[in-house]
Amino acid sequence: MTTLAIYSNKGGVGKTAAAVNLSYLAAQTGAKTLICDLDPQSSATYYFRVKPKLKSGAKGFIKGGKQINKSIKGTDYENLDLLPADFTLRNLDAAFDKLKRPKERLGKIIKPFKAEYDLIIFDCPVTISTLAENIFNASEFILVPLIPTTLSVRTHRQLLSFCRKNKYDTSKIYAFFSMVDRRKKMHKELMAMMLKEFNGVLRSLIPYLSQIERMGIDREPVAASAPGSVASKAYQNLWAKFQEATLANPSI
Amino acid sequence: MHNQLKFRLPDEYNQQQLTSALADHYVIKKELPALKRMAIYDTFDWRLFNKSFVLYMSEKKLFLRKLFKNALIHSAAITSPPVFIRDFPDGELKERLSPVLKMRALLKLIELHSRLTAHRILNQDDKTVARLVYEEIKPARGKNAPILAIYLWLQPVKGYTKDCQNLTKHLEEAGFAACKKEDIYFKAIEVAGKSPGSYSSKLKIQLDPAMRSDEASKTILRYLLQIMKINEANLEKDLDTEFLHDYRVAIRRTRSALGQIKSVFPQNTTGRFKKNFSFVGKLSNQLRDIDVYLLKEDVFKAMLPPVLRNDIDPLFDYLKKKRSKAFKHVISGFGSDKYRKILQDWEAFLDEPVQDPPLASDADLPIITLAKKRIYTQYRRIVADGSQILENTDDEKLHALRIECKKLRYMMEFFSSLFPRKKINSLIAQLKTLQDNLGDFNDLFVQKKYLLNIAEELPVTGQKHKKVLVAIGSLIGTLGREKQIIKDALAKTFTNYASPPNKKAFSELFASGQKETVP
Repeated sequence: MTTLAIYSNKGGVGKTAAAVNLSYLAAQTGAKTLICDLDPQSSATYYFRVKPKLKSGAKGFIKGGKQINKSIKGTDYENLDLLPADFTLRNLDAAFDKLKRPKERLGKIIKPFKAEYDLIIFDCPVTISTLAENIFNASEFILVPLIPTTLSVRTHRQLLSFCRKNKYDTSKIYAFFSMVDRRKKMHKELMAMMLKEFNGVLRSLIPYLSQIERMGIDREPVAASAPGSVASKAYQNLWAKFQEATLANPSI
Repeated sequence: MHNQLKFRLPDEYNQQQLTSALADHYVIKKELPALKRMAIYDTFDWRLFNKSFVLYMSEKKLFLRKLFKNALIHSAAITSPPVFIRDFPDGELKERLSPVLKMRALLKLIELHSRLTAHRILNQDDKTVARLVYEEIKPARGKNAPILAIYLWLQPVKGYTKDCQNLTKHLEEAGFAACKKEDIYFKAIEVAGKSPGSYSSKLKIQLDPAMRSDEASKTILRYLLQIMKINEANLEKDLDTEFLHDYRVAIRRTRSALGQIKSVFPQNTTGRFKKNFSFVGKLSNQLRDIDVYLLKEDVFKAMLPPVLRNDIDPLFDYLKKKRSKAFKHVISGFGSDKYRKILQDWEAFLDEPVQDPPLASDADLPIITLAKKRIYTQYRRIVADGSQILENTDDEKLHALRIECKKLRYMMEFFSSLFPRKKINSLIAQLKTLQDNLGDFNDLFVQKKYLLNIAEELPVTGQKHKKVLVAIGSLIGTLGREKQIIKDALAKTFTNYASPPNKKAFSELFASGQKETVP
């Protein structure tokens, strides 16, 4: 079983779009997949047309096991289940902090599902607090969408230095370019620079496309609603590049 | 889907009616139909069916389930249709089926086409809360083949139990019956002109205790002839080694019956057929010998120290070449005039009605009397001989004891319908333990001899020759050590067999009317 977090400490970078499409693509290959929507904004849940409701809310979530199993919903796609988000998840940080080993709770919560699923994908909210550390501990891989802007470069540096300081293995952090406008000279230059500066940046990019924005109207992964589209192909390429990179990673 | 429910459609209900009936209550989205091919497999002797397994291949995947169950036990991806267990990818499926299939080849029993049309049941968010799949199953061959079955599958979506329960209720009210006691397997096999479990190498002969002995003997012998014919007909395709094996067992049983069920046919008749079947048996001796060694290739290699394992390859390469010659010899033997005449002569004799007055002294004895007498005499003989042999164990004599046990076993199997099933089966099982022990011992004895002989014929020279000889030598050494272990265990097995409670069980079942008791 593999755990993968689609994570960023910067907002609006295309995390949910990536999480939804990658989980769909993984499920299509036959891997039994669970996407966990950890974001109280519940966008991934919305894309899959599921009600943003957890049994017993964040309390039930923290309990894990049966409580969570009751909340899991089958999506419209084979092999793909969703653990919906709930607005009460906004207090997750505070709730974790009250418990013993507050940074290892998420790993414990999903442990019972490791036997049932081949892949668990976390769609994460913007965070670099206790929840973020839970995510780092619970995930084998962390995939970060990077918009080729100077602010993105700054936040990614922040993330890496935070991880180094707190002794999190940075070799499990991968990144890909998101919302890229190839007509912009600055995007090109920054991408070249980031490939040089950061390890684990995949040579794969998701262009800025209205098709992806339309997911909010269609409420379907674009890889499902328009499998032959440019957007869908970009996600397919990203998934292939990610698998290539992780399979080649000798530390795994 | 693990917990999907299967419904049968009410009479004269078609897909269109289904869609419109549902549309009154639910928002449904019909998907494009999908076609699936599905091929069902089993061995010639129905090993999977006998364990209630259904093995099928669909879209380059193998699936295993139990009869009458929808839930899959195991599945595995496979590139070409499976024949032997060694063709299966490593994993749970292979592990599960390996002890069932053993050396038998899988045959494709039938290929089916299934046309699946999914209807998604949506809630107010247009979210799928359940799927109803309409399935039509047909044999793959023949354009106008009849539809074998139409099912409606209700596939629940995780987390939407209530919607699924409502839908189930709704379907039941509309006259859809959940079908649990139905499996497409049976209809599919029937349409292929086959009948599950129709062939078994085990004897299932039904005799009447009052039957004349010559008549009963002919019933047994006709049954054996059928087994011979069925296997002979399939042998030519060379699908696996067991057609020849079953064929040869039937010949051995025939010869044993002729020798052991004494004085039911005129002596010269029995003599002639005994001679004939000895000839028929010899025809395939060499082929079976080679088969045995080739089947044991992995076992033999495992007995060798790792450094020698590849050195023995020339032996198996040679045996494989030799096998194709031996196989041709058997097939041409089957086509020979002499062979065909022997079998025709035999069949004609078995089809002749028994004569009145009888032609041999015991011919009109009730079969129950003769069966008891022969079984009991043979048991006593084995107990007496065995006790002597085990005092000063001698390889040749142990071999003779094994043959006597085999004769007894065959008789108990021929006549098993005449005795209470539980009792005779438990005595057969006990005998089997002794036989297995003696059989293992004999195999090792014979193998040693065979390997020594074959080592001289090997067409290899130089370094390779030296190496293969060393490997064979090492193998013979291991076989010798194993033989001793088995020999040591034999005494105990035999003591159990000749124990007072066992003697009593034999005398109770077979001694009535006879004064002698077991010494």
